[in-house]
Amino acid sequence: MDRGHVEIDPARVGALIAEQGATLAEKLPRSIGFAKRASQSLAGGVACSWHSLDPHTIYGSRGEGSRLWDLDGNEYVDLHCGYGVMVVGHAHTKVSEAVRERVGLGTHFAMPVEDTVVVAELLAGRFGLPLWRFKNSGSEATMDACRILRAATGRDLIVKVEGSYHGSSDGLAFSYWVDVEEAGSRERPIAVHNTAGVPEVYGRALRIVPFNDLPAVERVLADEGDRVAGMILEPILMNVGVILPEEGYLAGLRDLLHRHGAFLAFDEVKTGVTIASGGATEWSGVTPDLVALAKAVGGGLPIGAIGGTEEVMRVVADGTMEQEGTFNGNPLSMAAARVVLSEILVPEVYERFGALEPVLAGGIRESIDRRGLPAQVVSVACRGSVHFRADPVRNFRDHAAHDDRLAHLAWLYQLNGGVWMPAGDPWTFSVAHSEDELRRAVGNFEAFAEAVTT
Amino acid sequence: MSVRETVELDLDRIDRLIEEEEGKLEPKHRASIGYKETAKRSVAGGVASSWQDSPPHAIYIDRGEGSRIWDIDGNEYLDFHLGYGAMVVGHAHPKIVQALERQARRGTHFAQPTKDLDAVGESLVDRFGLPLWRFCNSGTEATLEAARLMRATAGRDMLLKIEGTYHGHHDSLMFSVIPDPELIGPREHPVTLPQAPGIPQAFADLVRVVPFNDLVEVERALGELEGRLAGMIVEPAMMNCGVIMPDPGYLQGLKDLLHRHGALLAFDEVKTGATIAYGGAVEAFGVTPDIVCLAKAIGGGLPCGAIGATEELFRPVVEGEYDMAGTFNGNPMTMAASRAALTEVLTRDAYDHLNEIHRTLAEGCGAAIDKYRLPAYVKGLGAKGSVIYSATPVREYRDSVGIDERITYLAWLFQQNRGVFKSPWSKQETWTTSVQHSLEDARRYVENFEEFAAAIAE
Repeated sequence: MDRGHVEIDPARVGALIAEQGATLAEKLPRSIGFAKRASQSLAGGVACSWHSLDPHTIYGSRGEGSRLWDLDGNEYVDLHCGYGVMVVGHAHTKVSEAVRERVGLGTHFAMPVEDTVVVAELLAGRFGLPLWRFKNSGSEATMDACRILRAATGRDLIVKVEGSYHGSSDGLAFSYWVDVEEAGSRERPIAVHNTAGVPEVYGRALRIVPFNDLPAVERVLADEGDRVAGMILEPILMNVGVILPEEGYLAGLRDLLHRHGAFLAFDEVKTGVTIASGGATEWSGVTPDLVALAKAVGGGLPIGAIGGTEEVMRVVADGTMEQEGTFNGNPLSMAAARVVLSEILVPEVYERFGALEPVLAGGIRESIDRRGLPAQVVSVACRGSVHFRADPVRNFRDHAAHDDRLAHLAWLYQLNGGVWMPAGDPWTFSVAHSEDELRRAVGNFEAFAEAVTT
Repeated sequence: MSVRETVELDLDRIDRLIEEEEGKLEPKHRASIGYKETAKRSVAGGVASSWQDSPPHAIYIDRGEGSRIWDIDGNEYLDFHLGYGAMVVGHAHPKIVQALERQARRGTHFAQPTKDLDAVGESLVDRFGLPLWRFCNSGTEATLEAARLMRATAGRDMLLKIEGTYHGHHDSLMFSVIPDPELIGPREHPVTLPQAPGIPQAFADLVRVVPFNDLVEVERALGELEGRLAGMIVEPAMMNCGVIMPDPGYLQGLKDLLHRHGALLAFDEVKTGATIAYGGAVEAFGVTPDIVCLAKAIGGGLPCGAIGATEELFRPVVEGEYDMAGTFNGNPMTMAASRAALTEVLTRDAYDHLNEIHRTLAEGCGAAIDKYRLPAYVKGLGAKGSVIYSATPVREYRDSVGIDERITYLAWLFQQNRGVFKSPWSKQETWTTSVQHSLEDARRYVENFEEFAAAIAE
C-alpha cells in the first residue's frame, strides 16, 4: 500500500524532541520540584511506575469535565482520561453527588449492599452475561477470570495473545510487550516474562498466540486441547495502540475453544462500557463465556468486575471456588458505578462518541495523508491511536516495528499544545469533550506532522 | 497462662443453643433472606465476595455511622466486624466524609500522581520505619507485589509462608490458608495445599510451608532449600486463627536467619498495620522487616493497598528497570481518604483510646471466662482482639484445629441477636474496634459475652 510516504529524518526527529522537551520543562517548575520531595517517601516519586514520564513526571491537581490542571496550573484538554477510566469526564456532578450521599452512609462494610445488585443487573443487561462478581482493579478481575477458567474445567493451560495486557498478576505477566528477538517466531511465539520476580513456571501454564490468527489457536488446541482451560484476550487490542480483530476472528475463537471443552474470556477492562454500551461484546456480536471489567465502570473509583455464563460461574455461585476480597463490591465504588451505568453512560452517549470519532481520528488521518506520514490511525468510538508505520497493523509484531521516537515526539507536541494524552496508550475522550477540543488535538498533530516532514 | 481448671463444654447443649439462636435470628432478617433471591439472579451466589455470605444467611447492609451499622431490615448493630478490620476510623467519619466530598469535586481519577501522595507516603515512613512506598488497590495486590519483589531481588523462586495465614487472593501465596487437617502432612514438612481450585500444582511447588512461632522449622527449611529461597512472608501477629502473638524473639530471629541465607522478610500487615499500634507490628514488636504490606485500615474505607521497602529493594523500581504498576494505584479518592485517616484520625492519641477499649473488652471477657471456667482466653492489642476457645495457648495453626466451630458460631449468633455485629467465620476472624467506639459499646459486647458464657457453661 504505497501512498508515497515521505522519508523521516531521524536527526530532525531527535532535534525536535530536544526542542519540545525544553519547551515542556519551562512549564513544569513545580512538578519538577515536587518530584524531588515525593521521591523521599515514594519509590521514584510516584504511586505507579507508569506515572513516571520522560522527560518529566507531571503531577495532577484537579479535573473538571474534559479539562485537567497540573500542579503548575497548566490547563489541558484531557485525552488521557486516566488510562481510559474517565469516560464520564472529571468531577461529573452526578458522580460527586453519589459519592457525597454514600460517604455519609458509610463507605465499607465487607457485607453485601443493594447497589451491588443494581450494578450487576446493569452489567448483565449490557453484556448479555447473567452472573457477576466484583473486584478492585482490572488486575484482580483478569486474575480471577483465569482462576475461574481453570476451576471450571479442571485444566491448567491458558491461551494468551502476544501484546495483550491483562494486569499485573503473576499468571498473566507474560508477553504483553516483548523483545521480538527473544520471543520465538511470529507464528509460534513463546512466553516471555515481562517483569523480574515472576517464576518461569507461571509462563509454562500459558500458550502464546499472535492476534488475528485462528490457525495458531487451532494448532495449540490440536496439540494439547485436553489441557486448555480457556483463552483470555483483549477483543480489541489496546495495549499496543489500537488493533482491531478481523472479521470472524472472535467468533472463530469461541467455536474452536468450545469444540475442545475450553472457555473464552474477554478482557474488556479497556473496551467495556467505553466503545459501546456493552463494550466489545456488543460491538463484535460475540458473547464470550467470561468478561473482565474495570476502569470506566467505576467513574474513577477503584473497581473490577467479572461476568460470566451460568455454566462457568457455577463454581463461584456454589462455593466450589471461593472468590473473595475484603473490598470487593465496596459501597462507594458500587454507588459510583450505579450512577455511571444508569445515568451517565446512556445510549445517546455512544451515539455521540460515534459522531465525534471522525472529528479526531478522521482529522488526524487527513493530516497523515496530506503530509505523507508513514502512519496509520485506528479508532473505535472514543478510543483510538496512531501507529507510526506505513503498513497495516494486525498484531503485536506489526506494532512493535513502529517508530517509537515519532510517537514520542507526537506526544510532546500534544502536551505543549495543551492536550494531555497517554504516552503510547490509546486516547480516550469523554462525554464532556466538545468538537473544538478534539480539533485542538488534530491541530497539534498537524503541527507535528508539518514539522517532521518539512 | 497459668494452669487452671476448666469445664468441659457440652456440644449437644451448644447444638441446641445454636438452633434456638438461629430461630430467633431468622425473623429479624426476612428482608435480607428475601433479597438474596433477587441478588442471586445477577450476582454469583448473591454476594460480591464469597466471604460476604456466612452461615446462617447473608445479611445485606444499608448504612453505617460511627460505631453502628443498620441492615436492610432496619436492625441496628454495634459494629465489631468493621468490614473485616478496615473501618478503624469508624463509619462515615466527618474528616473522611469531608476529604472525599472535596476530592470528588476535584476529580476522582487521573492516573497521574497528586499532592496527597507525599503526605500519605511520609506518614507511612514515620509509622513503619521503611523509607519508600508504592500504592495499589487491595491487600491482595500488596502481597502479590511483595512476593514478586522478593523473588526479583533475590533472583530465586521459592517462598516460605506460615501454615494457616492468608495473604490475599492471588496465585503465588494462596496455599495452606485454612488447610484441611486430614491433608496437612507432618508438622516438620507440611503439605502446601491450594486453598481454591483453579491454581496449578506447579505454583504450589514454589511455596514451602512452616508452622508459626518455630525458628527451628524455618532453619530446617532454609537448610533444605539452600540458595533457592527468595524470602518469607509472615503475618507478624497471626490474625487468621483468632489472634496469635509472636513469641519474644521470634520475629527478630526470622529476620536474622533469613538474612544469613540471603533471603528476605516481608510482614503482611494488612490486618495489623495502623490497627494494633500507630506503627503496626513493626512498632508493637520492635522489628523492621525488609518489606511491609498494608491495606484495609490505611484507606479509611476505600479500596487501598501499599507496599513499603528498603531503598535497596526499591532501587530497580526507582530506576525504572522493574515496573510496579496499576491504573488505580495512588487513586486520588483513596489518597484523600488515606491522608485524612492517617494524619487526622488515626493519630497517636487514637491508639490510647483503642487500647483502653481493648482493656475493657479483654478484662470483661476474661472475667466471664474465669467466672464460668471456660476453656478459653483473650488475646489482642489495640483495635484487634479475639476470644480463643482453647484451654491451652494456641501458638500456631495446628493448635487451633481442635477448636469446635460450633462454639464460635454460637458466640457470633449470641452477639448478633443482642445487637452486636461480630465478624463472621469467628474461629478465624478477630473483633475490630474503631476510634468512634465508646467504652459503653465495649461493655455491651462484654455483657453479651457474659450471657453467652453463662449459657454454654451451665
